[in-house]
Order: sequence, then C-alpha cells, then structure tokens
Amino acid sequence: MENILNKDAHVLEQLKYDLNNTNSDSDGGYEDDDSTEAALAIEENILKDEFVRSKRTDHFLPPIKSEKIDTDIILPEASQSLAKQNEIRKREKSKKEMEEEEREKMQVLVSNFTEEQLDRYEMYRRSAFPKAAIKRLMQTITGCSVSQNVVIAMAGIAKVFVGEVVEEALDVMEEHSETGPVQPKHLREAVRRMRLQGAIPSGRTYYRSHFRL
Amino acid sequence: MAAPDDEQFEEEEGAETTLALCSVGRKRLFSKELRCMMYGFGDDQNPYTESVDIIEDLVIEFITEMTHKAMEIGRTGRVQVEDIVFLVRKDARKYARVKDLLTMNEELKKARKAFDEVKYAGKDAVPG
Repeated sequence: MENILNKDAHVLEQLKYDLNNTNSDSDGGYEDDDSTEAALAIEENILKDEFVRSKRTDHFLPPIKSEKIDTDIILPEASQSLAKQNEIRKREKSKKEMEEEEREKMQVLVSNFTEEQLDRYEMYRRSAFPKAAIKRLMQTITGCSVSQNVVIAMAGIAKVFVGEVVEEALDVMEEHSETGPVQPKHLREAVRRMRLQGAIPSGRTYYRSHFRL
Repeated sequence: MAAPDDEQFEEEEGAETTLALCSVGRKRLFSKELRCMMYGFGDDQNPYTESVDIIEDLVIEFITEMTHKAMEIGRTGRVQVEDIVFLVRKDARKYARVKDLLTMNEELKKARKAFDEVKYAGKDAVPG
C-alpha cells in the first residue's frame, strides 16, 4: 500500500477512469491494461452493435434483451406489441440516464475523498478472492470440475459475505463504543446475530423451523 | 507445522487445500487478500490476525455450505451457475452482485472477441 502514497494523483485518475467504465470491481484475473483495453472495446462494441443490428438477419440478440436480466418477469418476445416495445425502450433510455447520473454522482463523491478514504475505497474495489484458490477449494469439495462462471460467481458472493460480516461486526463495536481494529469478540457476536437472521448457511435445519421460506 | 504432511501428497497445492478443510492445523488460504478486503470494508488498516482467521474460517464454511447445497439442486453432483443464482435469490445484495458479475463477464468476453477479430481481420472487417 505504500506506493499509493507517492502516486495519489495517479490513483485518483485511475479510479475515475474505472468508475467511468465499469460498475463492478476489477477481478484479480484481469490486469489493468487488459481491463482498460477491454473497457474501450466494450464501448466500441456497443456502438457497433447498434450499427450492425439493422443489417442482421437473425435477431437472436434483440436490443431489449440486455435489460431483461434486471427484471424478474421475462415476457416472451412474440407476444409483445410494438407499443409495448417502444415503452420498454423509453424505460431503457431513462435507465441509462439514471446510470449516467449515478456515475456522475459517484465521480463527484470520489473526487472529494480524503487521502485515507481514497485508500480505503481503492482497497474496497480492488480486493478480491484469488480465483485459483476458490476453484481448487470447490473442486476439492465437489470432487468434479467446476466451470469458470461458477468460480466468478462464488468469489463475488464470498466478497459480499465478508462485507456483511465486517459491517455487522463494526455495528457491534459501535454499540460497545469501542474503537480500533475489529476484535474476535465483535466478530463472534456479529456471526451469532447473522445466524439468527439466517444470513449464514449452516447445515440445513438451523433456521428453517423459525422462519418461513 | 504442515510440512511433514505435505510430503505424503503428490500435489502440494491439493494438499494445501485439503489441509485447509480440516479443522486441525489449517493452512491459511486467503490471508493477504482478506486483510485488504477487511480494510476496504471498514476495519483498521492492520486488522488483527485472529480476526482474519475467524473470517477465513467463515468464508470457507460459507463456500462449503453453498457448494453442498448447489450439488443437491438442479443437476445433482454438479455445481452450475444457475444453482448458485437460485440459492441467493432471497438475498438482494448477493443476487444483484452475481447478476452484475455474470453480465460484465459476458460483455468482457464479447469485447475481447471483437477486439481479437479486429486485430486479425484488419480494421475494415465487421465482427459477428
């Protein structure tokens, strides 16, 4: 982490660039050069997509499909009338506007960070579980090979899980009005609370008897 | 500590992992990354080693449980992406994160493919 102290201007630029081009953190598998190249290529590809779409004969990637992932209800293509499609396109546009707005807000926020906050934010975005270790772990458990997508998904979920535990532990620490590094007792209390809420998968019947699914 | 056991196994990395899954004499898999992660999530810049150990145990238990559950649903004995997505469907944060990651991965794959085609075919070719 010491190299950051010498290059804070560079870090700020890199973070701004990251924010402009990606919404998720860069994983350990992708190097910086790759991801910036890829990010530029994504922009190019999206522009090319719109240009090429009019010439394509088979529309197996219609324009609306990219937004379907975000909604729970997936409507079959055939039954949508033109009016509905236009409505969805308008919603798409405002969604893009909202994304743009959110990115701008994040930019403003990050540009006002103190040095320490910047450091912490960079660690938050950049830290990730090593894909190789997760893959080995899962293959040891299952006894058969797992695909790359599964490893990516599991690494991401594990990171969210760590975040939940640490945040809960920080809350516990706050309640006891203590400061400094998080201590094991805070973590244990946090885990106890999370188990009661069913946020930690453990065996099968631990919480099912208390909560409906 | 773990050195004499390692000699019995052919692959050292596999031995590390198997050792990590036993409750006694664990080898730490994620120490470095977990430290950075905990700092990023709000802990001190130098978290306690015991705290890091506790969280690593939690993560390994989490991944183990998820993997076991995923093996039971969908196609038994295998872990597929759909199973994982199904398991986190109730947790909004994790669900959104998985969807994001998979979408980004697809886009990056497409972008890399497009980039490679442009490189090989020359800038006049249209990919796809």
